[in-house]
Amino acid sequence: MSWEVDYLAIAPELIIIGSLFLVLGLDLTLPRLKKYWTATAAVAGSALALIPLAFLAVEGETISMFDGSYVVDEFALVLKGLFLVTAYIVFLMSVNYIESERYYQGEYYLLLLASVLGSLVLASARDLIVLFIGIELVTGPLYLLAGWRKGDVKSNEASLKYFILGVLSTAILLYGMSVLYGLTGEITFSGLAEATAAMPNSPALTMAVLFLIVGFGFKISAVPFHFWAPDTYEGAPTPITAYLSVNSKAAGFVAMLLVMYLALPGVSDVWAPALWALAALSMTIGNLSALRQTNIVRLLAYSSIAQAGFMLVPFAAAAVAGADLEEAFSATVIYLVIYAVMNLGAFGVVIAGARTTKSGEISDWAGLSNVDSRAAVLVAVFFFSLAGIPPLAGWFAKFVMFRSVMIAGGAATVVLAVVAAVNAVIALYYYAKVVKSVWLDDATREFPGEFDEPPAGSLRLALAISVGLTVVVGFFPALATFVADASRVIAAGG
Amino acid sequence: MTFSDWIAEPVNWVFAAIGLAVLFSGFRVVTSKNVVHAALYLVGALAGTAGLFLLMSAEFVAWVLVLVYIGAVIVLFLFGIMITRAPTGLDESLSSDQTAMPALLSAAVFVVMTWASIDAFGTELLATVGEATSTQVIGESLLGRFVIPFEVVSFVLLAALIGGITIARRDLTPVEEEERMSV
Amino acid sequence: MSTYFESYLTVGAFAALGAVLVLVMLGVASVLRPTKPTAEKQLTYECGVDPVGDGWSQTYVRYYVFGLLFVIFDVEAVFIFPWAIQVDELGVFALVAMLFFIVTVIEGLVYAVKKGVLRWE
Repeated sequence: MSWEVDYLAIAPELIIIGSLFLVLGLDLTLPRLKKYWTATAAVAGSALALIPLAFLAVEGETISMFDGSYVVDEFALVLKGLFLVTAYIVFLMSVNYIESERYYQGEYYLLLLASVLGSLVLASARDLIVLFIGIELVTGPLYLLAGWRKGDVKSNEASLKYFILGVLSTAILLYGMSVLYGLTGEITFSGLAEATAAMPNSPALTMAVLFLIVGFGFKISAVPFHFWAPDTYEGAPTPITAYLSVNSKAAGFVAMLLVMYLALPGVSDVWAPALWALAALSMTIGNLSALRQTNIVRLLAYSSIAQAGFMLVPFAAAAVAGADLEEAFSATVIYLVIYAVMNLGAFGVVIAGARTTKSGEISDWAGLSNVDSRAAVLVAVFFFSLAGIPPLAGWFAKFVMFRSVMIAGGAATVVLAVVAAVNAVIALYYYAKVVKSVWLDDATREFPGEFDEPPAGSLRLALAISVGLTVVVGFFPALATFVADASRVIAAGG
Repeated sequence: MTFSDWIAEPVNWVFAAIGLAVLFSGFRVVTSKNVVHAALYLVGALAGTAGLFLLMSAEFVAWVLVLVYIGAVIVLFLFGIMITRAPTGLDESLSSDQTAMPALLSAAVFVVMTWASIDAFGTELLATVGEATSTQVIGESLLGRFVIPFEVVSFVLLAALIGGITIARRDLTPVEEEERMSV
Repeated sequence: MSTYFESYLTVGAFAALGAVLVLVMLGVASVLRPTKPTAEKQLTYECGVDPVGDGWSQTYVRYYVFGLLFVIFDVEAVFIFPWAIQVDELGVFALVAMLFFIVTVIEGLVYAVKKGVLRWE
């Protein structure tokens, strides 16, 4: 039997594979001082892969391959676009960071490209096997990249913690999937949706669903499965931390939403309360822990845990209330996209600012505005955007979230909305604290690093893209709603 | 199906024997105070699991378990032990005082899983017992329906290999690196 | 009893026979041979250098790379089996897919050779 493969539909994946091979070839042939060409290949690859994506988006057809287990529809395209753009920004942020210390450049970009490939596959996955392999390819290289600073004990700890807990979560996830398969005999999401809707709720089904949630919970670092995140974020190289908190978290979210929304809508009475609890706990504990942080990367780590909670809110609320999941699904996707851009920007500005401060302690950042006003402006933009202050993009994410909760209605939903509102205020406090330190506090010391020269062109470009998107989407939120329209397609076509 | 029916079937004797052996090995993996012994008990547990797969007519999976896990992964385990810990005798630090909570947790997980499985499948018999899932069928779906995940696996392997080498190797000085690359 | 179990019964019988054979030979040998152990004879190398220290010692990390290569290619071999037993039936598409798979993983080996991590010094 032969299967139809639409090569245009998988062209983005093929381009990433091509640039991966190119990076490997360059790494093996170029002399040591010319290795920066591998960075160029990776950057070019992630940008080129966007071109067929645009073609596919204009065509707007839903392409389904291999018995519906690999689907390229508008939803998949939006997510692939997100993964590629964020990967592009991370590559740009990496260029000088990786060059400045003695890293294995070629291997670094090769592993990151492999991870990007995994996320592209994941976005199209419509059965459990493709989904699982995709999520493994996203996280596998990151275990190694987190420990890339081999001489640094903190980096070793980062890698080890992430690896052990990641592998444990993978095992739990896989067990849940295998029980699901054992119960239904189905692996495609559509088949699972039919089978689970028809079968009575049994303890085994509940167990399988809960195992899936535990597995995905680790990947998105939701409380109480977040213990690895702060240490890993702090120890890993900063561009990898940015990638972890954006791409790999988004990948985990996408996987979880796909499974819950497409494969298990019939058992929402099992996973809805679990997601509700995850959302409330992540927001509250993430924010309360972030309040106490003095290190800017750890602060961002806890803030990204809290943001994961916010992202879960629309979906969990609608599921608990039994409301229309479609609206909530698109709200969560919008939040995810906006979060990705502004969080990347925040990490970019941490890299840029650290050139001057040479420190991750927030107190050492005091008075940065006196010497590097551009970095200080960017700190304000990204941190206020994360806090959700208009007219920056973050407000629209929060607005969409609250609107979707209001549509859902119901007592449990209102409680969740109140928790979210209180947490939004707490978050504002610690985000504003960083901005205050940078702008209003006096410098307590001479800044040890350089600040006369602007940061390298690639980092500037990365920051420019993030700040551009953050501001433009904030002023013209209509741009973000096309994401919502695209994610509605999944209900009809997926 | 009563117990006397069950015990009358010779296949079930084999199942019971292998099952008990796996249980014992698994228990010893956790309780053994010598890491090498623990690794070797793991071989026993894996071999027993392979036997159970054979009983369920999943030939390919069984032999993959033997080839990959017993043949390769355990070797890597032993390498890992030899690289990091020497001498590999009794190690008191392997026995932790905090055994109560993990034991309780494991027992709870066991009870829940067993209960859920029995509740879901009960005395239902596997329809295919005695008929091997042929390796041909696996080949057909691997290179047909599942060709995308199959190709993606090659990148998982490549990334694991290159990343693993990078982390494990000795960092070279720039001069050494130039020398090696020129060969 | 199906043919599947019967064929494995044959395998089991042969395995049992092999084990019995070994036990019988060792048993017969231990009954027939004279046993007069001395301290000298119990040494690892009876006529070689006296062993020093423990049986275990810490090994070089470089073995790890070889172990890793072994595991990766073992996994690759496992994927080749189901294809290899029916190359003809699966056709060109499968051949190309399998070649792509093999080449991708082989590149890891090329990498290792090129970077000199397999060299022993």
